[in-house]
This record gives sequence, structure tokens and C-alpha cells, in this order.
Amino acid sequence: MVAKLWWMIHKDLVSEWRARRAWPSMLLFGTVVALTFGAQIEPLSQWKAQISGSLLWLAIFFAGMLAIDRSFAAEREEGSMDGLSLYPISSEAVFLAKLAVNAIALGALQAVLIPLFIVFCDAPLAAHPWAMLLVAMLGNLGIASVGTLLSALTSGTRHSGSMLALLALPLAIPVLLAASKATQCLGGAQIDADCWRWMQLLGAFAVVFSIAGMLLFDFARED
Amino acid sequence: MDDRTIAIEARGLCRSFGGRIVLRPIDLAIPAGQTVALTGANGAGKTTLLRILSGLNRPTAGKVFWFGQPAATNSPACRELGVVMHESQIYPHLTVHENLLFSARMHGVSEPRRQIHRWLESVGLERQRDCLAAKLSRGMRQRLALARALLHDPRVLLWDEPFSGLDRENAIWLRELLGKLRDAGKTVCFSTHDADFARNCADRALHLHGGRLQEHEMAMAEPIIASVGSSRARAA
Repeated sequence: MVAKLWWMIHKDLVSEWRARRAWPSMLLFGTVVALTFGAQIEPLSQWKAQISGSLLWLAIFFAGMLAIDRSFAAEREEGSMDGLSLYPISSEAVFLAKLAVNAIALGALQAVLIPLFIVFCDAPLAAHPWAMLLVAMLGNLGIASVGTLLSALTSGTRHSGSMLALLALPLAIPVLLAASKATQCLGGAQIDADCWRWMQLLGAFAVVFSIAGMLLFDFARED
Repeated sequence: MDDRTIAIEARGLCRSFGGRIVLRPIDLAIPAGQTVALTGANGAGKTTLLRILSGLNRPTAGKVFWFGQPAATNSPACRELGVVMHESQIYPHLTVHENLLFSARMHGVSEPRRQIHRWLESVGLERQRDCLAAKLSRGMRQRLALARALLHDPRVLLWDEPFSGLDRENAIWLRELLGKLRDAGKTVCFSTHDADFARNCADRALHLHGGRLQEHEMAMAEPIIASVGSSRARAA
């Protein structure tokens, strides 16, 4: 099971590396957003800590959707989704593999965006690096699980990209809110109880959405 | 006849899209080792029936069984099935070898590299081993799709329109391959709109018309309407 999961992830990463269809546009969009915010944020410097967290997570969400949209669209192009359905592997494993690939894509995006926000927006994201890493991972998992499930649902439709963002945004609001608040709290001198509560809430959303994704995946991919 | 010797069975299969009925109640039994051609005009529902038989689509009503077990995607029973649909189901940005290796790993094929080498030779793609699948011609893609479907040595092959878009050379090769599969005792069900191919390549022909299946007498040009369900008894 673990080996098959790995081979599915490996196949998607190799395909993306060679085709370069989703990641470049995702990284470019994220970088443009960070640089634009960086240029505009100076007059608002007194609210920098408050707004940079929200801006960061909105940038991660919208740029990330560009990559997540491709996760099932690529499978449908040559009918290979049918092929995946006919392997003796559980549908949960297929979902988990896609989730992992999307989480890796979002991780790469965060690895570019967070330093850009620190440098260009002077965002206080490096005050508690380990806690920030935890928030980034939990937010990543929450967005990736919502996006993966809905990508399976919308990949067979026309204008799947805009459909995905439209459907995913309302569902991802709890994740975005908790991630933004937790990121905002981490800008302070120390991590207070309020901050931990947001992180716990973020963790709970990430776990709930991942489990819901696994359970609902079979229905979402049905033609 | 024991249920195990019926490779594919459909009971009361119906399928409609919105208000349009594509398949009316269909009872079908394909004994193991038989080569069956599914004929019919464009839009008759051949692909729909094959997709339902392969478990890829759910019927509106009725059930499908593979060797007596309920058909289900992503189940261990999928090992018994090789499916080639109109779309090649291959990954264009993986090489020919990588495509087959991925499939072998998903099916848990033992000695995957040896099996891949054997199938690359069989379908004549040894020289394209390291080519990206995206660069292959339509005929080569079809050969790769076939190798992918047969790599795990399934007992049943479901094949949608194997002869469509193939040149004469590829069509001859395909006909020979169907003969080899029959000799190897595989159960094959393929769709075609060409009655001549059906007559030349299959043990039995089924004609889809108006959502109903009619049994073709192989020697005759016109279909003889019969209850297809009764073919099970005949096969026994």
C-alpha cells in the first residue's frame, strides 16, 4: 500500500517536472502577488503584522488552486483516471496520493512565498520559525484536502479552474481564517494561549477535511 | 455450469442518461475463454456497455459480476481484468517503459522488468522503450495501451473499438494478436462497428440495437433476435 502510494506520487511529480504545466504558473502568480503587496504595504506599516498573515494565506490559496486544478485534469486528458480506477488499490489511496502531491506543490509555493513576504513585505513571519512551520503545514494540509476533493469533482467540467476556486473558497474559509489568525499571532513576541487555540482549530480543520476527502472521494470522481 | 466459468455476467443491466434510455434490461453471460464481438451502429451504446461491464460506470439498474464476484473498481478483482478504452489511459509525459512500470507496480506484477521486456517485444515497441508516450503515433499508443492492459496477465480483456483508426498493417497484427489471446484461453470482449471483423475475429457476436442485445449467428449476415440470457445456458 505504502509502495503503491509512493509510485503514484512519483508518477505525478515526474510528469509535472517534465510537462511543467502547473507549478510555474502557481509560483509566478504567488511571486507577483507577494511583490505587489510588498510595493503597496509600506503606507500600512502599522498594520503590517495584522494583514500580512491574511495576505499570505490568500496568495497561497489562489496560487495553489492553479496547481491543484491540474491534479485530476491531467488524469482525465488521456482517460488515465479510468486506468487508476482499475488498479487493485483503494480509492482512499488514490485520494491520499493526489493529496500528497498537492501538499508538496503548496509546500513549494510556501517555501517561495514566506521568504518573499519576509523580505518584501517585512512581515514578522520568522519570529517563531518552528511554530510558523507547523502552521504552514497544517494550513497546507487543509487547503490541499479541500482542493483535492473538489478538483476530482470539477475536473470533468468546462472551466474547471474557475469552478474549483469558486467552490473551494467557501469551504476553505475556516482553514484560511484559522491559518491567518495563527500567523498573525505568531508575529508577537511570544506564542500565547490564543495562538495555540487557533493552531489547534487549524489542525482540527485539516484532519476533518482530509478524512472527509477520503470518504467522499469515490462520489466526487464518478462521472 | 459453475459460476466460476462465467467470466463476465450482467443481470438486468439498464442505463439511461437523463430521459434517454441507452441500455434496456440486458442479461448477458460470457463464458471464460470466449471471444465476443459487440457490434452496433455509432451511438448504439457499445462503449457504455463496455464501461459498465468493466465497472468504470455504474448502471442505472442491474448488476455486473466478474467470475461470480460483484464488479467493483479499485478492488482486488480488478486483477482479472484488462481494459482498453478509446482513450489510451497512458501518461504522455512518462516514457513507454515508465508507463508499463507504473502499471506493473500498481498491479503488483512479479518481476516487472522482465514482463515489460516481454510485452514490449510482443507489441513491437522495444525501440520506443525510452520515448515519451506523447511522441508516439496513434497506432503505437494503441499498442502501448494494449501492453499496459495485458501486462498483469488478466483473464479477461475488454476492448473498445480495437480496429478504429488503424492502418492495414496494424489491423492484421491486431487480428493475429486476438487469435493468440484466444489460444491462450483469455476471455475477450471487444466492440466494433465492422461486422466483417466481428465475424473473422470472434467466437460469438452480439448486436446492440435500440438498447437491446441481439445474438448474431456467426455464419449469417442478419442478426437473429434471441434472448441473450439464454446464451449462458447454451454455453453451458
